Amino acid sequence: MRFLPFAALLVLAAVPQLAMSQEGLKADEQILLQQVMTDRRAVYAANLGLTDSESRAFWPIYDEYEAKVKKLNDRFLDLVNRYVADYETLTEAEAAGMLKEKMAIEEERMKLKQAYTKKVAKALPAKKALRYAQIETRIDNMLRRDVYGLIPLAR
Amino acid sequence: MKKLMLAAAAVAALGFQHSVPAQTGGSNYDDTQVLLAQIQSDRRAIALAGLGLSDAETSKFVPIYDEYQREQKALAEKSIDVINKFAANYDSMTDDAAKTIMKDWFKIQDDRVALMKKYSKRLEKVLPNAKVLRWVQIENKMNALTSFEAARIVPLAQ
Repeated sequence: MRFLPFAALLVLAAVPQLAMSQEGLKADEQILLQQVMTDRRAVYAANLGLTDSESRAFWPIYDEYEAKVKKLNDRFLDLVNRYVADYETLTEAEAAGMLKEKMAIEEERMKLKQAYTKKVAKALPAKKALRYAQIETRIDNMLRRDVYGLIPLAR
Repeated sequence: MKKLMLAAAAVAALGFQHSVPAQTGGSNYDDTQVLLAQIQSDRRAIALAGLGLSDAETSKFVPIYDEYQREQKALAEKSIDVINKFAANYDSMTDDAAKTIMKDWFKIQDDRVALMKKYSKRLEKVLPNAKVLRWVQIENKMNALTSFEAARIVPLAQ
């Protein structure tokens, strides 16, 4: 299994229009993650219909959330890279460790999402906060569907 | 909105749109139960086909998986309740209703993550870790598809 292009492929699933270079893949991953985050911001800006005062309240919360999500995404990419690197010779101990790390990432992602949706709900009318949560969920689901589709099953 | 309630509830619970039959005038509850049973049977077949278990492994896996499915079904029914609540309040959503819907939805998501963790630990006791990892991957793929369809069909709050 080719290791190098895989992590980038995961992110490319979200932004398929971008071409992938073969060098400096770590840097490319970060650029692509940044692109995904920029796209998310554009989606919220276009779909939440925030007033000026709502915007002033919302964006600092979202920026904080995004910075924390990025760390989780980096952890997930590291995990996938390790999985792909060890794929042919995955030991029982490695499989157990990866499973544990995946569960931990999912738990933290859910906690983070809920904590920040609560913050958004304090800053915006509840209906707009609900709309925000729905959009966030739709984007996450779309990425999840594409990313999981790319990861080969353990042997 | 009633059509949305039916379609969204079915998709949320069952995932695959092609599995949703035309309404025949029976109660929505009965229809949903039939569909839930069908998708659970489909998911079990997909998991078994994807895992490549030996006979001995299968005999240990299936009872645990069936328990997992029972708990999954309870969560699917809760999801349907939340979607129905959303649909019933859609045109005149109050802030309180929106907050309750968000709270209930997040609780279900928490429970789903906890359920997967609980059953992967149980399976680790009876299957090789690599097969448990494979099971989690298969479940994740199925959940990703069903969640995507379910969220897509529910309109955004106004």
